[in-house]
Amino acid sequence: MKPIGSIWTAIRLAFFSGLMLVCAGIFSVTVLVLYTASDLPRLPEDLSRIIETPQSLVYNAAGQVVLHLGERESVPLNRVSPDFINAIVATEDHRFFLHHGINKLRTLKALYVTLFEPGRVEGASTITQQLAKNLFFSFEQSFSRKFRELLVSFQIEATHSKAEILEVYINQIHFGAGAQGIEKASDTFFGKSARDLTLSEAALLAGLPKSPSAYNPFYHMDRALKRRQVVLQRMKDTGYITADQASLAASEIPELNREKKDARSGSYFLDALIKALIDTYGENVVYKGGIRVHSTLDSRLQDLAKISLGQGLDRLDQEMGVSGENSPRPQGALVAIDPSTGAVRAMVGGRDYFISEFNRATHARRQAGSGFKPFVYYTAFEKNGLHPGTLMTDHAVTIPVAGAPDWQPQNFDRGFQGNMVLKTAMTRSVNTIAAQLVQLTGPDAVIDTARKCGINSPMQDVFSIALGTAGVTPLEMTAAFSVFANAGNRHAPFLFWRVEDAFGRVLFEHIVQEQPVLDPGTAYQVVDMMKAVVDTGSGRRVRDHGFTRPCAGKTGTSNNFMDAWFTGFTPTLCTSVWVGFDKQHPLRDKNGVGITGGRGAAPVWAQFMHQALADEPERKFPVPKEIRFEKIDPDTGCRVDFRDSRAGMVVAVKKGQVLCGETVQ
Amino acid sequence: MSFEWYESVGTREGLKRTISFLNISVLILSAILVFSEFRFDWGEQMLGRFLAAVNQTRPEKGAVWELGRDTLTAHETVNQLIDRKSDTQAFARRIDSFSGIARHLLPGEWVTLDKSHFKDLYRSLPLTHARQIMDPARLIWLLNGDVTDRIFCEGLKNGIKIYFIDTGNRVIHQIELTQETLTVITEKKYLKPGTLESFGEFSGRIYPVDRFFDAVFKLPGEMIPDLLPDTDLLLDQEGVISRVGIWNEAEEGFIRLGFEIRHQNRVRVLFVNAREWAVWQLGLILRGTHS
Repeated sequence: MKPIGSIWTAIRLAFFSGLMLVCAGIFSVTVLVLYTASDLPRLPEDLSRIIETPQSLVYNAAGQVVLHLGERESVPLNRVSPDFINAIVATEDHRFFLHHGINKLRTLKALYVTLFEPGRVEGASTITQQLAKNLFFSFEQSFSRKFRELLVSFQIEATHSKAEILEVYINQIHFGAGAQGIEKASDTFFGKSARDLTLSEAALLAGLPKSPSAYNPFYHMDRALKRRQVVLQRMKDTGYITADQASLAASEIPELNREKKDARSGSYFLDALIKALIDTYGENVVYKGGIRVHSTLDSRLQDLAKISLGQGLDRLDQEMGVSGENSPRPQGALVAIDPSTGAVRAMVGGRDYFISEFNRATHARRQAGSGFKPFVYYTAFEKNGLHPGTLMTDHAVTIPVAGAPDWQPQNFDRGFQGNMVLKTAMTRSVNTIAAQLVQLTGPDAVIDTARKCGINSPMQDVFSIALGTAGVTPLEMTAAFSVFANAGNRHAPFLFWRVEDAFGRVLFEHIVQEQPVLDPGTAYQVVDMMKAVVDTGSGRRVRDHGFTRPCAGKTGTSNNFMDAWFTGFTPTLCTSVWVGFDKQHPLRDKNGVGITGGRGAAPVWAQFMHQALADEPERKFPVPKEIRFEKIDPDTGCRVDFRDSRAGMVVAVKKGQVLCGETVQ
Repeated sequence: MSFEWYESVGTREGLKRTISFLNISVLILSAILVFSEFRFDWGEQMLGRFLAAVNQTRPEKGAVWELGRDTLTAHETVNQLIDRKSDTQAFARRIDSFSGIARHLLPGEWVTLDKSHFKDLYRSLPLTHARQIMDPARLIWLLNGDVTDRIFCEGLKNGIKIYFIDTGNRVIHQIELTQETLTVITEKKYLKPGTLESFGEFSGRIYPVDRFFDAVFKLPGEMIPDLLPDTDLLLDQEGVISRVGIWNEAEEGFIRLGFEIRHQNRVRVLFVNAREWAVWQLGLILRGTHS
């Protein structure tokens, strides 16, 4: 009898103990709720309004909107495809319309798995819980956060209808590629409104929030389609669609909006613009201030720049025999500036923004090579009274350098050509003569000229500066050459004309200020020499590519073919093109021949300029009144009569300069 | 027969106690609670309503509130920038002197001036100083020649800069008014106490007023306005001009003339800028070498 009696006593004991435990549990939970509730975030009265932030707009030079910044566009539920709503509910929380914030059975299961199956963590968040987390909590994984999130979801359920909750949810979830909210995602991925999504597209989008990067269809279409299959299966299982509808939708490959590819700016120009705006106004104002920015961007030129650079780099790939699968592919940059104002009209900082956002146009400091020589020649003309007709000798040069081995610059072809006038030396890009010039002027004077023209990158006070050993950006080179194109007047490059608030009140306006930094006559002499570079010298590929307008420019190739440049201009547009590898790697074709600026960059420049200026009339460079054109013998520098049939060279000299002992009148 | 609760009881007694009314009631109640909760979610609803009731007492924190605050801050910042600009603009419209604008504009701040307002500001200056700022002919070209679209005035650390801008936002002409220049104008530093001898630069070129004006009247009539461009300034002075001095160096095409004025035991020198070439002609007459 006793044992049986003891069992009953034990049962009773267990029952009452259990009862007491339950009571204690209820009490503890109540205390915990009361304690936690005091520190829970307050809920705004209207959940839908909180996702509306005013967008900032960026316009191009023609006044068209080219970018929405900080856009969070909310759409009502009735303007969203029902297929998407069904898909998201079936996938994320198929009991959404039945529960009050928590799916208890799924939660208990998830709790069991998390606690008793080491290494596995199972989520059971309902749509309401996800909404609570996205709106108020961090992504920290903890029981405390989960509990607080649960409490907030109860409150959301208690104070909002299911339709309201669902509307807010679909308008704030992240779909990847920078798209937040269904309307933005629909536009980003398919270029259409959310109301027009097909079942196939809706199912694909509904699968993305689980892992927006991993399922990004722009880059991983295969994964996105597999995930869509899961969504369609869920929709079928939950009765939203039939098996036939599921298989029909699964057979469709949605056409992506390749133009967009991403909700990022998608443009090196716009990235540079956003950075400039943030530097001025701060991130908050730029993304949430609802400002209107009127940029200098010429969309047509920007497209042409992208195409010209892309095609040029593809040609280089072929010449070099690189495919990108096993070896790196060369990169490039192109910047085009209106020399009369400094407005940057186009900027491309790499071959594909979506592969590499690094903006080489503004950030890659690369050796300019001979592209730096115009500053050397200008300095020598201005400081030492030389001119394009001055005779010098191309010979071996040894320049002593204090505390270092002597510097012995070599010509590109390793040979020497003897006497020649400076115009010929520039045209043929003779290094030994540039070295002699910098020896005359001193490197500091050359640096001073480059600084005046707008080269801000660090430059070392060394003789080799004559051969462009300083690292400069394509933007700097374009801005600096613009000074020559604009008769010695500098305009600092800029990216936006005007900034307004949402009501059109002006916050900032750019005014075009001209700074005379170079002597117009001497600048013209350098321009005239650079015209010869294009017509007969190292940049003649520009002419070979059919660009016949009056233009001037200079090629540049750095040591061991690491960088290839061409910077040139017409009176109305100045453009610099750089090509090279991101890492130190020479540009050589399949036969091992080095690729120069004339071969690698000039064709890109010619293609771009040819199309960019197609609708403009031809313009000649204005000639300053002190300039005289004289025909000289290029071997002696002495005057030749214009009527003389012997070959001669026309040089631009200033009144009062001396040619072979004769003063120019 | 009574038992202590810890004492063993028989099967019958144990069973009887286990399925007692109290126990069964507690069990059923518990089951009802659990099942009704699962069926009707009253626990979540109750908690939700409770939390909604205390909503207003809780802090505004979390991502969405931060976003709201950031948006508000952004708008406030933009509005502050706009307000500041509007205030400056409104102030500039009311102000009647360049020095007033310079005092109000911070470095980097700018306002747009109406053409008529600029004309008024310019005309409020003594002509001799106005000419130094800008030649009237150039002003006519800029303001009446359909070249200027707007006039921007930008604050500098040491004064103001005024830009005349065409429709393409291009600067056609700019003038810089340093604090020093403005001070000369506002504090009437063109009028200094002392005699001509107080200024060494007049040494050897000081003439009695009669001799000076005799020489002036010997000049061709069209030359006199270049010599005495601002007659109002001279006519406005109280007292008598006793002597006139000629400065010993030219500055930007002008040479200073000093008029010594005596009034109630006070002696002052009024400085006037005259065209260099007109002064040169006058000098020839004064030295008696004029042909």
